[in-house]
Amino acid sequence: MAYFMVVLLDDSRMEKIKGTDLEKNIKYMFGGELRLLEVEVNEELKDKILAEFETARVDSRGAITDVPVAFMRELFNQVAEKKSLGPEVVEGVLAKVNEIKELAAKESEYLPPPEIETE
Amino acid sequence: MSRLLIERPLPHGGRLVERVIEDKKVAQKLWKSCKTTYEIKPTLHYETGVPVRNVYREIMSICYGFFSPVEGSMKQAEVERILKERRLLSEWIFPYPLIFDISKDDLNKLGVEVGDRLGLTLKGKPFAILDIEEIYEIDPEELAFKTFGDPETNPEVVREKFDKKHPGWVIYRSHQPWVLAGKYTIINPPKFKAPFDRFWFPPRKAREEFEKRGWRTVINHQTRNVPHVGHEFLMKCAAFTGDVEPCHGILVNAVIGVKRRGDYPDEAIVEAHEAVNKYGYIKPERHLVSIVLWDMRYGNPLESLLHGIIRQNMGCTHHMFGRDHAAVGEYYDKFATQILWTKGIPSFGFPAPPTDVPYGLLIRPQNMREFSYCPTCKEMAYSETCGHKREKLSGSFLRGMVAEGVQPPSIIMRPEVYKVVVKWWKKFGYPFCNEKYVINKEKELEVELEDL
Repeated sequence: MAYFMVVLLDDSRMEKIKGTDLEKNIKYMFGGELRLLEVEVNEELKDKILAEFETARVDSRGAITDVPVAFMRELFNQVAEKKSLGPEVVEGVLAKVNEIKELAAKESEYLPPPEIETE
Repeated sequence: MSRLLIERPLPHGGRLVERVIEDKKVAQKLWKSCKTTYEIKPTLHYETGVPVRNVYREIMSICYGFFSPVEGSMKQAEVERILKERRLLSEWIFPYPLIFDISKDDLNKLGVEVGDRLGLTLKGKPFAILDIEEIYEIDPEELAFKTFGDPETNPEVVREKFDKKHPGWVIYRSHQPWVLAGKYTIINPPKFKAPFDRFWFPPRKAREEFEKRGWRTVINHQTRNVPHVGHEFLMKCAAFTGDVEPCHGILVNAVIGVKRRGDYPDEAIVEAHEAVNKYGYIKPERHLVSIVLWDMRYGNPLESLLHGIIRQNMGCTHHMFGRDHAAVGEYYDKFATQILWTKGIPSFGFPAPPTDVPYGLLIRPQNMREFSYCPTCKEMAYSETCGHKREKLSGSFLRGMVAEGVQPPSIIMRPEVYKVVVKWWKKFGYPFCNEKYVINKEKELEVELEDL
């Protein structure tokens, strides 16, 4: 099974990859309402992610999800820095695993909610 | 009545178990007859000490009849039979051992013997009694392995050996080694806190509610998740099952108990499902949200069996089962539940489906595949009917989007459902269950008790 991780693209992220070859790989989902990139993950890297982050799981599409937000932010940083979607991106993220875990420990206590009306 | 019409099934075992004393005087008398009392404690993870289960939930589900015909903490012979054949001593099928476990120290301190009545307190208040019929010792690790099976003894569906990454295995591994077996009786019915109070439909009340609504046929939707539009379509389409007409009602039955980190909080789950009917995505006349107390074991086919029992007891005629039902990781075949309900799993004691074995179930399975977004049809489409390339969506994918602060498009999550998620996110400071939530929840529980 091929595994991957999804990097969602909002406007500020779009700015950072503007003019690179990555733009050719942008996918649109749900009637064009979502823009994203898919980063390739091999079996070995998938196992490493699942071993390092206990909330991580593989969903029905083969996507690795439920990793800390810090992981996802670094994933985008690596994509933008390496201008690639290959396995070296996740390798780059895992090289910073301790730093990510430190950040994740804080974010497991609190994440700022979006400012929308709820009542 | 036409022979084609499906009637509401009898409870599993033939009658509803109801072991709840509402009369305070009777309750006080029973309480006074207890030899001693014991404060119910959460089961703590055998390594980390984090709560993984609270036996009070099992006592509630047994005494209110969700687990009929089970009446209490199981005797050793019953546990052994379940592990071997998934049957109670009364022959009725049942998937899991349910026991009242305590430590050796607690057993010595209590000084109870067979024949004694033990008073159980919860949050310091009288809650239930346990009439002790047997006291025996277990090996929690062995129990954990035998409960879920393994690839050698259950090759039809078990793919990996269970270990501490499986939350259900951890629950049994974390049991204390001494068991007090016997019937439970609730003598001080707890009161549910908001928002759970309005979703409490124990089997008798659920059956009465179905009757009141004119729901002869009801299909159940099992959930431990906030609904995305794929779930909504699953419910809508599965409800077309029925007899001569689609099911009259859709019962959403949310499992409330210790959650895994990364799951949505229980409060958000029930209110988000309610939003589906409140805002008309499925009209409230056809849709009812309810709860059952249970710390999920994630036993895929075994869990589906328990779900079938619970929902039959609640009066449902049908039960929808999806891929990877109540599963975690890759311990079971992704379609293990479908295999159980269509062919049976001989190594688990089912040479035929649970509806086709003696003392089996009456509820009808509706095995469903997946719904996902089809950009060609421009709508949610069913995997087995849509011929286009579709975009799969999953709860995990959505969780990632939510955590990154991106509002999911309304085609995959209704805005009102998202608002419920954010409402509870604001309350808990976090959109999902984290350790803080689990610890607080297990301290506070979903209920309050009054003085007896």
